Amino acid sequence: MRQVAFYGKGGIGKSTTQQNIAAALASMGYRLMVVGCDPKADCTRLLLRGVRQPSVLDTLRDVGPENMKLEKVVVQGYGGVKCVESGGPEPGVGCGGRGVITAIQTLETLGAYKDDLDYVFYDVLGDVVCGGFAMPIREGYAEEIYIVCSGEYMALFAANNICKGIKKFAERGYARLGGLICNSRLVENERALVDEFARRLNTKMIHFVPRSKDVQRAEINKKTVIDYDPELPQAHEYRELARKIDENDEFTIPTPITQDELEDLMREYGIVD
Amino acid sequence: MQFKCNQTLPERASHIAIKGPGGKCQRGDGTACFIANNVATTPGDMTERGCTYAGCRGVVGGPVKDAIQLTHGPIGCAFFSWGYRPHLADSDFHMKYTFVTDMNETNIVFGGEKKLLQSIIEANAEFPNAKAVFVYNTCSTALIGDDGRDVAKQAEAIIGKPVVFFECEGFRGVSQSLGHHIGNETIFRQLVGSVEPEGDFSRSINIIGDYNIKNDIRTFEYLFEALGLRIIARFTGNVSVDDLKIMHKAALNIVHCQRSATYIADMMKEKYGTPYINVTLWGMKNMAKALRDTAAFFGLEARAEEVIAREVARIQPYIDAYRQRLQGKRVFIYQGGPRVWHWIELLRELGMETETAATTFGHTDDYEKIFNQIAEGALVIDNPNVPEIEEILTRRRPDLFISGNKERYLAYKLGVPFVNGHTYDTGPYAGFVGMVNFARDIDKALHAPVWNLVHRYARPAPAARYAVHGSEEVES
Repeated sequence: MRQVAFYGKGGIGKSTTQQNIAAALASMGYRLMVVGCDPKADCTRLLLRGVRQPSVLDTLRDVGPENMKLEKVVVQGYGGVKCVESGGPEPGVGCGGRGVITAIQTLETLGAYKDDLDYVFYDVLGDVVCGGFAMPIREGYAEEIYIVCSGEYMALFAANNICKGIKKFAERGYARLGGLICNSRLVENERALVDEFARRLNTKMIHFVPRSKDVQRAEINKKTVIDYDPELPQAHEYRELARKIDENDEFTIPTPITQDELEDLMREYGIVD
Repeated sequence: MQFKCNQTLPERASHIAIKGPGGKCQRGDGTACFIANNVATTPGDMTERGCTYAGCRGVVGGPVKDAIQLTHGPIGCAFFSWGYRPHLADSDFHMKYTFVTDMNETNIVFGGEKKLLQSIIEANAEFPNAKAVFVYNTCSTALIGDDGRDVAKQAEAIIGKPVVFFECEGFRGVSQSLGHHIGNETIFRQLVGSVEPEGDFSRSINIIGDYNIKNDIRTFEYLFEALGLRIIARFTGNVSVDDLKIMHKAALNIVHCQRSATYIADMMKEKYGTPYINVTLWGMKNMAKALRDTAAFFGLEARAEEVIAREVARIQPYIDAYRQRLQGKRVFIYQGGPRVWHWIELLRELGMETETAATTFGHTDDYEKIFNQIAEGALVIDNPNVPEIEEILTRRRPDLFISGNKERYLAYKLGVPFVNGHTYDTGPYAGFVGMVNFARDIDKALHAPVWNLVHRYARPAPAARYAVHGSEEVES
């Protein structure tokens, strides 16, 4: 069983990319579980074709820990992918970070990991803002991490910050960076820039996902591109990305760069003057 | 004195001092600087300090007798702050109940504001006679950012009585001392002066900084009343919320605990111009002085002398009798703060000398008062830890140890007579009358028949020839 965590700046297309990869792997015959670790609980929407499932934390609150059952929170989506949402508080109250920890520990207690799974995906919100959002990459959970980014400054800035978090955990001996996934925003020189950025981080850009209107179209239909129309060129891109992840055997400890270096890099590639 | 147990904690040396020739402070680190105090505990030091929540809930807010005492946090915070301090009151409600929002895991994740509001409303519905709700914030609810101030405001509008929210999260500050300060400030801001009563308050006082431990206040309030003074509020022993609301009307504040309550006296002086005097209400001389100083403010000197003469005539024979039995004994006092310096003179009146003095959370002004009173050669130690206390008991061999219940059995195991100064063995100890109780408890501790048995049959208590930790010989 490979446990994989996806991080990246909020709004970068992390959940869409992650679900398309999951769908692609499922279509290749793999058995997967996707654990959404975002209080918004929107990490499995496309796999479930828009069905809102009860989140772990909502259920835990409503029925209490003694009546908690795995069936209540695990729903099968496209290609038999098991979908779980940790859920969490409304914006501005409570503690979403503690929510992630509680949800993952609850899943473990309920035996969610005992099945013959090939992959467990963790889809984690924007930035690693506190200890709770680093839970998926603690010992015993995800050992491989992919960061979704684009060629925009804030996306690279966030990716660099996430690498600082991974580095801390990697030094303790577990999580490793598997690569950057560039989800194109049509930034000039984007492929070369992200490629170089990845090199400086001591990793690689595992795939460049081109911008395509088909992603939006599939999303409006509450489906992944793979599910919506497997013949589309974009579906091919996601299958290619999934294959690369499946075959990936280069896992590194990242070397985050300074903010000055990052700005110089942007200048070098003509993104800022 | 070099502590064997501090070989690996050199930082502790600055917290240990001896009163040198001419009353100078000679610190354990070799300097003549003043003893270090009120600073963060050194990692590795097994401190006995409490937390800010403990200082606020346990000491200042808790004794208010007709307020619902509600802890916003996990259940353990409420249990371990309930009933351990006998701040008694003439009320069926007080200390019988403690309230808690019982924050569990899902409450932490989803936030506790709704639960807090609901708890306030429920507690008030169950106990409609309560005059206010005191809400104490804890570490967990502070970390998740519950807006308790806003909830208190909402709750006030619903239940129609004061809801006082104390921001006394345990992780703030270096000891419980900050909790006292927060308790003072919050009560002052939220309650004091919220009602303007009619009437003549020209001969009225507040007793500030007495928590009515084992009914201490009963030993002296009749004395002030005998002077013709009216006591408005006792901050905060046996006090009601209504008293706190009008305490700003007093003509004079009498400050007893000058660590945990001078704050409110200062704030009242600044806002209302109320003067205050510092007093000690333990011991014959000090109690008499407190009455004289108070009387001098109101021009009631003659009446004070009458009251004092009557009391002294009644009580002094007992004190004299006990002095015969206690003469020459050497004492180690370890208290939270000011009681150490409050009691040095009291013990002298019983013929005893304080040889070692320690406080858990004293500040510089407390240590100055200790240094002024103790004899040259006495040892002073700030925030002592258990191994240090053990070394003091075995190497300095005091005749008597006055401390709190948590040190009681350590003292007994080491064969040192012990009196509980925190919550009293058989109190009250304050005032003229209480001093007889104190002297009796000391006498009982020192002359308990068990010591004869211990010395004859038991293994000898560890003495200076034994190292405390390890096999090496220790020089004293």
